[in-house]
Amino acid sequence: MTAAGAWRALRRRSQSTGRSPAAAGIAAAGALATGVILWSAFPLATGRAGTRLSLAAAIVAAVMSIAQLAAAAIGSRDSASFAVLDQVAQWLTGLVKILPWPELLIVAVLVLEALHGSRPWHTALLGVALTGYVLAVHLTETRAGASVLRAQLPLLSAGLALTALSVGAAALPHFMAGSADAAIRIVVLIVAVLAVGLAVPVWLSRPARNAAASDRRAH
Amino acid sequence: MHWSLSGHARRLLVLALSGVAAAVLTRRAEFAGLAAPALLLLATWQSDRNPQVAVRVHLATASLVEGVSEALEIEIHGHELFTARLLVEPADTVLAGAAVDVPGGHPTRTAVLRVVPTRWGRYSLGVLVITLTDRYRLTEGVAVVELPFASTYPHAAALQSSVVLSRLPSRLGEHPARAAGDGIEFAGVREFVPGDRQRRINWPATTRRGSLHLSTFSAERTQNVVVIADETSDVGDPGSSSLDLVLRGASGAITRYLAARDRVGLIIFAGRLSWIAPGQGRRHWYRLLDLMMSTPGGWDRVPGLTRLPRAALPPGSLILVFSPLLDARLVEALRDLRERGFSVLVVDVLNAEPAHDGSRLSRLTARMWHLEQQAVRFSLTQIGVPVVHWDGLTSLDTPLAPYTRRVLVAHR
Repeated sequence: MTAAGAWRALRRRSQSTGRSPAAAGIAAAGALATGVILWSAFPLATGRAGTRLSLAAAIVAAVMSIAQLAAAAIGSRDSASFAVLDQVAQWLTGLVKILPWPELLIVAVLVLEALHGSRPWHTALLGVALTGYVLAVHLTETRAGASVLRAQLPLLSAGLALTALSVGAAALPHFMAGSADAAIRIVVLIVAVLAVGLAVPVWLSRPARNAAASDRRAH
Repeated sequence: MHWSLSGHARRLLVLALSGVAAAVLTRRAEFAGLAAPALLLLATWQSDRNPQVAVRVHLATASLVEGVSEALEIEIHGHELFTARLLVEPADTVLAGAAVDVPGGHPTRTAVLRVVPTRWGRYSLGVLVITLTDRYRLTEGVAVVELPFASTYPHAAALQSSVVLSRLPSRLGEHPARAAGDGIEFAGVREFVPGDRQRRINWPATTRRGSLHLSTFSAERTQNVVVIADETSDVGDPGSSSLDLVLRGASGAITRYLAARDRVGLIIFAGRLSWIAPGQGRRHWYRLLDLMMSTPGGWDRVPGLTRLPRAALPPGSLILVFSPLLDARLVEALRDLRERGFSVLVVDVLNAEPAHDGSRLSRLTARMWHLEQQAVRFSLTQIGVPVVHWDGLTSLDTPLAPYTRRVLVAHR
């Protein structure tokens, strides 16, 4: 069997394990990155000074973060070649890998959003998309299935409830005092209670590692 | 084990801090809400994380074979609270399968990773990277374990048929010989003489001739085969060089003849001679392959290699030589073997030629080199040593076909 044949056999074997292909994760992360940039940047005309610069930075960070995921998925082996093209390719790959592009994208997108006027529901949706982007990047780079996020689901739900709460709080001054105001306050209170109710049990159920370790030592 | 925040935790931290900072700077509450999911996820981070993790790496087989996927069993102990991700970062000559996730919740778990060595030899398979991740995927512990050295045998060339000599030593085996005996190969019919076994009476012949006739059968004998692997030169492209083909061909011949219950010996013709006298069985196969792997290549020209040792060459052996025929000492040794009465068959594995430019002098030297090679092969053929060429792409049956369809007559 040739090396190429052996490699194909390994690829088939790894694909037959049913893992989600990296391409789908990269596509999802790319779509979310594009979505958050468009969502936070437009309309460009209403943005303050520096919007275009932040937009350019966000686009560069998005492209590089996707390239980083793709490079990690393809995998590369250090080449002993001294050819100029190989050296340039290695340098570019190093550049893609060395900087935290997803983090830079998050900061650039938030700056873009902050450069626009107050729009609470818009910002809340941006937060949801950014959280989704962070999760998509994590799943892609670890090649794990979405089931690994099951433990985080209550916390995510609680966080989204708090996001809704903040939108309500931000929108509150726009309403006139009266029955609507009272109704919104009650809804906000219920959401806050629900969020705390979801988050606290998760926090309390964190595994007691010291106890487990001492049990292990005793055995 | 090196512990740190995971990349996921770093991104959540950036999202949370940026959101809070934007909320403070712009006095807009919705930015704090944007940071809320990330903050809540980060709240589950725990600082105590020092499990005693033990790892045991075990190869499913004692030795690997070039191009054949093998299982690497990894037993991991003490990672109950963490998900372990096992990944082999292979050496240059090894391919490794995808990473394997080992869930926590149990004191000991076993995972299987696949590795494919692509080159024969003895080398380390690479390193095993173990990444422990907590339930919320916020902390990561990374440990790197050096994988053991493993011997990788050359991929045995396919060989279904075998060359059998006309004269076989009187030792019980599986090849039908010319002499009559107790085998199952029908040899002929002859008249019954007192003392013959009655169950061998050939009744049709008896009826036709009117007197008792019985069937005779060929004796079944084994043969001694000595494989000579010429490791004095290594020319050609890496992966299909003459040395690669020598080892693959020799490995294929050894495997084939041992499977046919023949007695097989090996002589490594390198900087010095190493040999194992003919023997049988699976253990002998390992001995021969280990000798093949352990002998260093010999590019130094040691004199006195033209006469091969008698101890390695039982009388009447079939000598199979895998060589590019570039070493004059080996050619001389083959002539000597022929003079000593051995039946020798050479498999020529030379598939490369010296590089030359288009100049007239270069063309001339290349032509002289070709003529010299032809002369070497012609001289061997003239003294009764057949030379067949093998390109390494086809099975060995193709070049050996003229000699496997009938017995090879052993000349004296």
